[in-house]
Amino acid sequence: MIYSLKDITKSYQSRNGTVRALDGLTFDVLPFESVALLGPSGAGKTTLFRLLNATLRPTSGKLSFDQNDVSAMSSRELRQMRRRIGTIYQQHQLVPSLSTLDNTLCGRLGSWSLLETVRNATRPIKRDIEQAMAALEAVGLADKQRARADELSGGQQQRLTIARVLMQDPDVILADEPFASLDPALTETIASLLLELVQNGKRTLVATMHDVDLALRYFPRVIAMRRARILFDKAPSDVSREDLVTLYGDDPEPEAGRPVDPDIQEPPREFSYKQHRAR
Amino acid sequence: MNSAINNIGHGSHRPASREAPRLKIKRIAAVLAFGAALVLCWRAAEIRPTVLLVPGTSAALWTFVRSLFPPDLSPDFLRIVGAAVIRTAALAIAGTTLAIAIGLPLGVMSTPTLWQRGVLLAGEPPGAGKLAVAWLSRFCRALLGFMRAVPDLMWGLLFVVAVGLGPLAGVLALAVSYGGLLGRVYADVFEDVDPRALEALHATGATRTQVFLRAVWPQAKPTVVAYTLYLLECCARSASVLGFIGAGGIGYEINLSMRLFEYGQLLTLILALVGLVAATDFFSRYLRRRLHANAPAGSLAHRHIENEPGSPSHADRRTRAALFILIAVVGASFYLAGFFNSTRAGLLSRMVRFAGEMFPPELDPMFLRSLALPLVQTIGIAVMGTLIGVAIGAVLSVPATATLAFAGEDEAGSRSLMGRAARACVYYVSRLALNLLRSIPELVWVLMCILAVGLGPFAGTLAIGLHTGGVLGKLYAETLEEVPARPVEALRATGAGPLQILLWGIWPQARPTLVSYTVLRWEMNLRVSTILGLVGGGGLGQAIYNNVQLGFYSRTTTIVAIVYVLVIMTDWLGDRLRVRRTAI
Repeated sequence: MIYSLKDITKSYQSRNGTVRALDGLTFDVLPFESVALLGPSGAGKTTLFRLLNATLRPTSGKLSFDQNDVSAMSSRELRQMRRRIGTIYQQHQLVPSLSTLDNTLCGRLGSWSLLETVRNATRPIKRDIEQAMAALEAVGLADKQRARADELSGGQQQRLTIARVLMQDPDVILADEPFASLDPALTETIASLLLELVQNGKRTLVATMHDVDLALRYFPRVIAMRRARILFDKAPSDVSREDLVTLYGDDPEPEAGRPVDPDIQEPPREFSYKQHRAR
Repeated sequence: MNSAINNIGHGSHRPASREAPRLKIKRIAAVLAFGAALVLCWRAAEIRPTVLLVPGTSAALWTFVRSLFPPDLSPDFLRIVGAAVIRTAALAIAGTTLAIAIGLPLGVMSTPTLWQRGVLLAGEPPGAGKLAVAWLSRFCRALLGFMRAVPDLMWGLLFVVAVGLGPLAGVLALAVSYGGLLGRVYADVFEDVDPRALEALHATGATRTQVFLRAVWPQAKPTVVAYTLYLLECCARSASVLGFIGAGGIGYEINLSMRLFEYGQLLTLILALVGLVAATDFFSRYLRRRLHANAPAGSLAHRHIENEPGSPSHADRRTRAALFILIAVVGASFYLAGFFNSTRAGLLSRMVRFAGEMFPPELDPMFLRSLALPLVQTIGIAVMGTLIGVAIGAVLSVPATATLAFAGEDEAGSRSLMGRAARACVYYVSRLALNLLRSIPELVWVLMCILAVGLGPFAGTLAIGLHTGGVLGKLYAETLEEVPARPVEALRATGAGPLQILLWGIWPQARPTLVSYTVLRWEMNLRVSTILGLVGGGGLGQAIYNNVQLGFYSRTTTIVAIVYVLVIMTDWLGDRLRVRRTAI
């Protein structure tokens, strides 16, 4: 088992008391499995991803990665674990002021020593650059290698995050809405790229999807989340219409909105250099 | 006062019927308290407007102004001025360099998102190490706060005792004071970068150092560079004033000429000072533009792949030359600032002895009571000085606002040539007046105001008012100019005149920024008013100066502590005021 979750709970303290973002999740992910994660927004999918890539720690329950208990790991072991997990974020999470090529190179950080990091800031290692260029080639961004990440379109940014993951060469890929900002033609390209990665490279893939058809078409296993819990965990052939109606059906109670995560800040307001200047 | 404002802010959202009477009472109480505070400040600052109206005063002022001319331009004196300018510039450069050396590590250490909370720490195993690092980070932040809160001149006074008269004391004062400011600004910039990039890199298994180098630094770099260059300007201004307390350079010469009643020399020196500050301003603006234009993406990865034949060395050579010049200039500055003097043996033991004598702080009730009046004076000077500054700034900023002064100029056939010339004249005269007020430091203004109104807090208040008027007027004018243009255009299209445009289109949009600048300036003036006493402007400065001169170092410690607490409280109050006022 690559992942094993036992009764995982994650809760935050908010102004209105404790909010449960995840409530008693139990499931396993086998090596080389491809799993789609479905659910309405606010169901806790993104929080689950943050637990799976060790950005957050569960409040209670036992999370194991490759047979090792995550809560017993040292900082160093956690870093080694993160190196083996590549995350494709929904909001791209690129370094806006770095070029496409530099952002791709960032995928390698986990396997660089500090010395190599400094060296790579001035005279990058040729082998790394060649690999980064190959990754950009694969996602069709080779001609954009000099552009700043914040000059790219949404779809290009999405492809860039995939290039970064290619560069990282992980054992597990976590993809949060990998097709969200792509047009249908690109979706096909990227989907086949991802699946190729998983099948040829013997990797595990967990992806959240808002497109149910796509999920049912490409993934042999579907986990559905609703209101911080697992609703069903089935093969796509077993998913019935009723399942989907319950999953996305109208809520009798209004959603309380996304829980505010105190550890993960909102994107910042513009830093006011002028304000400081006035001092 | 603050709690009352607080309540007004909340009250506006409550149902009016029930809360109205209570709200009214609170509002009246707030106004009364505010009025009482103002009267107190007026009294404390010993404001006597009548002094300005007495014929003797204006006669004395006129004599002073007349004796400023002609400026002393004899070769001998110009040589002195040149040496003073170079020495002041060296002081500023060496001070800025040390301030970066102090501010950068402390700034990185006190960035909360790197050490205390957030994405990088949420997944780490809890433990004593994590806690210790978080507390170390908080300590660094507090240390920066202390370095920043004690004014540069006060640091200068302490360092003069610790390392002796001379430029070294000035450099150390700049380094500590501006190192504190720089560190805090760096920490704020590092904290405010987009945290999503941090999360992504962290999740690839990057270490904290790597996340800082690849995600935080590339995002923060433009602001960090811009602010550091701006700090060079601040240091140049401050370095010239540090001469007053024995660091040498322009300030020292100004003080000397003043005491010798050589007002012709004074004018030359002031012009040199204005020139130096303007030159630094120009230089840092030029560099900022250059760096901005040359700042594409972060690393040099691209040069490596492209390897254009023959050409890559060109940019390299220029960078190398610039770097070489920079190192040479910085080295020369440190040399001129007296850093490589071998006669400084025993310096360390002297500093240690001085530090030892500063503790424990003097807490004798008699002494503490004697500080009450200067303390109130200091606050009064800051408040009244800021108010005068607001008045001057408000009056001068409107004609200095280009969008108002030249409003509707391009409308077809709207203005005669004469009208245009008159407008341009008003605009440039008010800009010039603002620049003049701004570029003369408060301490020099104090010396001149003493000529008019005599020693004491009133001179200090006027000095702060004049300088603040220049600063605020410029900031106000910039704010009024940068207001979003579309609503203003719409008003103009309805046929509104400049006054109507100002009141209905510009003022409502600019108000929060104007308030914020004013409050910031008030906080700053409080720091300044604690040191005006050094040259006879009233307040705590006099007390600290006397005690340093008399060798009562434990008393000095007490006063520094009081200044620190005062500044911290002002900043806190200012933050609250800013939040409330800009939110409404």
